[in-house]
Amino acid sequence: MAPPIYSALIISLGLGTTMTFASTHWYLAWMGIEINTLAIIPLMAQNHIPRAIEATTKYFFVQATASATLLFAGISNAFLTGQWDITYTPYTLTSTLITLALAMKIGLAPLHSWMPEVMQGLNLLTGLILSTWQKLAPLYLIYQIQPNNPNIFIALGLLSIIVGGWGGFNQVQLRKILAYSSIAHLGWMILILSFSPPLALLTIIIYILMTFSLFSSFMLTRTTHINSLSTTWAKIPILTVSTPLILLSLGGLPPLTGFMPKWMILQELAKQSLCPLATMAALSSLFSLYFYLRLSYAMTLTMPPNNPAGTLPWRLNPRHNTLPLALTTTSTICLLPMTPAIMSLMPF
Amino acid sequence: MLKILIPSILLLPSTWLTPQKYLWTTTLSYSLLIASASLMWLATPSETGWSFLSCLMASDPISTPLLVLTCWLLPLMVLASQNHLMLEPINRQRTFISLLISLQIFLILAFSATELIMFYIMFEATLIPTLIIITRWGNQMERLNAGTYFLFYTLAGSLPLLIALLLLQNSTGTLSFFTIPYLPSTCSTPWAHKMWWTACLLAFLIKMPLYGAHLWLPKAHVEAPIAGSMILAAVLLKLGGYGMMRILIILDPLTKELSYPFIILALWGVIMTGSICLRQTDLKALIAYSSVSHMGLVAAGILIQTPWAFTGALILMIAHGLTSSALFCLANTNYERTHSRTMILARGLQTLLPLTAVWWFIATLANLALPPLPNLMGELMIITSLFNWSMWTLILTGLGTLITAGYSLYMFLMTQHGQLPHHLISLNPPHSREHLLLTLHLLPLLLLILKPELIWGWSA
Repeated sequence: MAPPIYSALIISLGLGTTMTFASTHWYLAWMGIEINTLAIIPLMAQNHIPRAIEATTKYFFVQATASATLLFAGISNAFLTGQWDITYTPYTLTSTLITLALAMKIGLAPLHSWMPEVMQGLNLLTGLILSTWQKLAPLYLIYQIQPNNPNIFIALGLLSIIVGGWGGFNQVQLRKILAYSSIAHLGWMILILSFSPPLALLTIIIYILMTFSLFSSFMLTRTTHINSLSTTWAKIPILTVSTPLILLSLGGLPPLTGFMPKWMILQELAKQSLCPLATMAALSSLFSLYFYLRLSYAMTLTMPPNNPAGTLPWRLNPRHNTLPLALTTTSTICLLPMTPAIMSLMPF
Repeated sequence: MLKILIPSILLLPSTWLTPQKYLWTTTLSYSLLIASASLMWLATPSETGWSFLSCLMASDPISTPLLVLTCWLLPLMVLASQNHLMLEPINRQRTFISLLISLQIFLILAFSATELIMFYIMFEATLIPTLIIITRWGNQMERLNAGTYFLFYTLAGSLPLLIALLLLQNSTGTLSFFTIPYLPSTCSTPWAHKMWWTACLLAFLIKMPLYGAHLWLPKAHVEAPIAGSMILAAVLLKLGGYGMMRILIILDPLTKELSYPFIILALWGVIMTGSICLRQTDLKALIAYSSVSHMGLVAAGILIQTPWAFTGALILMIAHGLTSSALFCLANTNYERTHSRTMILARGLQTLLPLTAVWWFIATLANLALPPLPNLMGELMIITSLFNWSMWTLILTGLGTLITAGYSLYMFLMTQHGQLPHHLISLNPPHSREHLLLTLHLLPLLLLILKPELIWGWSA
C-alpha cells in the first residue's frame, strides 16, 4: 500500500479513538467509532485476496450494525432524558442497548461469532490492530455509561470467558486462537468493569502487552498455523524460550505477569462476596490455558532432531525490528513483582 | 535466609557463563556448597517459633527439614542428570540445569514464605519448570499427556484455593502466618463455610496426592526424566503436605467432621495403590504408586491434627523423600542400561551389578519401613495416632503396612534375584557417580536414625 495512503489510514485510526476519548456528546462518540471502522476497512483489505475481502465484508457488516444500534440507543437516551451526555443513562433500556451494541463492536459473547472469522482473514499486523486498538474506544464508552445493575456485565463477562476458552479448543489456525483468546480476556475485563474500573484498565493494559508480544513473535516467523510453529527452533531459537512463557502468561499462570489481572479481579470479586462467580470464571480460564499449552507443546516442548511435523517455509526478509517484541516480552514475563506499584498507578 | 537464596539465584548466571568443560563440575560443586550451608537452618535456637526471621521469609521447625531437603536435592539432581544430558547441545544442558535451579529458588521461597499469598504464588510457580522438564526432556510420547494431567489437576485444585485465600484476606485483613492462628474464624452460612474449607484443602490434597485425585502422579513420575522424577517425588509432593499443615490451623472447628471422608479416602488409597503396585510391570510406575501409598498415610496423619500425627507426617515426608528419590535413581540406572522400564526385561541384576544390588537392598528396606530407619518411626507415629483417633483404622493401616512390605519385596526380588534373562549378557558396571548419588541419598537417611530431633517438627 502506498505510504501516503497507509499513513492517512493509521492517522485516521488514531483520530477516531481520540475523538471518542475526548467526547461527551453521543454524536461525537459515535463519529469517532465510525471513523475507526472506516479507517481500518482498507487496512484489512490491503492485500486483495478473497479471504481478506471476505473478512473485511464481515467486519463491516457487524460494525455497521453495532454502530447503528449505538446511534439509535444514544438518540433514544437523548429523547428520554433530554440530555446528550454520555454519562447520563438512567434508563435500563438505553443502557442495556448501548452495552449490547458496544459488546458486538468488541466481540464479547454471545455477540462474538464474527471475531474468529474476521481475524482469520487478516494479516498479523492488522489482526493486532483489530484486537488491541479497536477495543479501546468501545471499552471507554462502556466504562462511561455506569449502569446501575452489573448483571448484564457479569453475564457478558462469564459467557465470554467460557466461550473464549471452549471455542479455541479445536482450532489449529493461530489467528482464530488469538481471536478466542481476545474474547476470553475481554470477558475478564467486562466482568470487573462495574465493580472496579481501575482493574478493568489494568486488565486491558496487561492484555495489550501480552497480545502485542505474542503477535510480534508470530510476525517474526510469519507463522499462522500450528504446524508452522514447529519450525521456529530452526529459525529463531530464542523464540522457543520466550513464546511458551508468553503463552503461559496469557493463560494466567503465576509467577508471570498474566496472573496479575486475574489475581486482582478475583480479589475484588471476593470483596464483593461473589465467590461462586469467581470460581466459575477462574475454572473457565483453564479452558484457554489448554490450547495455549498445546501451542507451547507444538513450538518448544516437542522437538526431535528431524521434524516431520512442519514443512520448511522460505525464509525471506531477514531484517527484523525486534525492539517492541523485546520490550513487551520482558514485561509479559517479569512484571508480577511490581504489582503494588502498578496498582497504585491506576488512578480512577 | 538470603544467605542461601541469593547464591541459589546466582547459580543461574554461573550456569550460563561457565565454559562447557566445567559446566557439570561447577554446578555440582556450587550446589553442594549451598546444600551444606543450608544445614545451618537446622540449628533452630528458638523452640517455640520462628527463626531466621525477616518480614517476608522465615523458617520454623516444620519448614526447616523440607528446606534442607530441597537444597540437598539439587546437587543430587545434577549428578543424576549428567549422563542422559551429555549428548545434547550445550545450551540445552544449560537450560535444563537452569530449570532445576529455578525450581530450587521457587521451592525455597515457598517453604520459607510467611504469607499465604506468597506461598500460593510460589506453589504455582513450581509448576512451570516441572512441566517443561517433564514434557521437553521426557522420553516417551505419553509425556505430553502427563504434562497436561499434571498441570490441570493441580490448577483445578489451586484456583479455588486462591479464591478461598482472598476471601480470608478480605475478612481478616492479613494472611501472614504470624497472625492468622490468632484470628477469629470466618463464619458465614454453614454451606459457604464448608465450601471454603474444601477450597482451602483441595489443592494440597490433589498435590499430595489423595487417592481419588492421584491420576496425574503415575503419569508425571513415569514420563519425567530422572531429575524430574526426583524433584517430584522428593519435594513437590511435600509441598502439598506442608501447605496442609500450615492451613489446617485456620480451618479449625469444621475439620473435626469434614475431614472424615478425606481420611478414609487416604487410608483406602494406601491399600488400593499398594495392591496396584503388586501388579505393576513398569518399574517407575511401581515406585510412583508406592509414593501415592506413603503420601496417603501422611495425608491421613495430617488431617487428624494431633501432635504425634504431625510429627509422624513430617518424619515420613522427609524419609520418603530420600527413599523415593533413591529408588528412582536406581530405576534410572536400569533405564540407562536397558532403555526399558519393564521389570521382567531386567531381572536378576544381582549377578551382573552386585554393588548396585546393595543399594537396591537398602532402599527397599527403607521403603518397607524397616526399624530403626526414620521411615518406620514416621509410619509408626502416624499409625499410633490414627489408632488413638479410631480403633478401626488399625485394620487399614496394618493391611497397608503388610502390602507395602509385599510390594517392596516384590520389587527387590523381581529386579535383583532370579535368573538373568537370556538377552542380558553384560551391562555397563555402575559408575562412581551413581554410587556417589545413592550414598548421598541413603547416608542422610541412616544418619537421621541418630538424631531424629532434626525432623520432628514442633514436638520439642
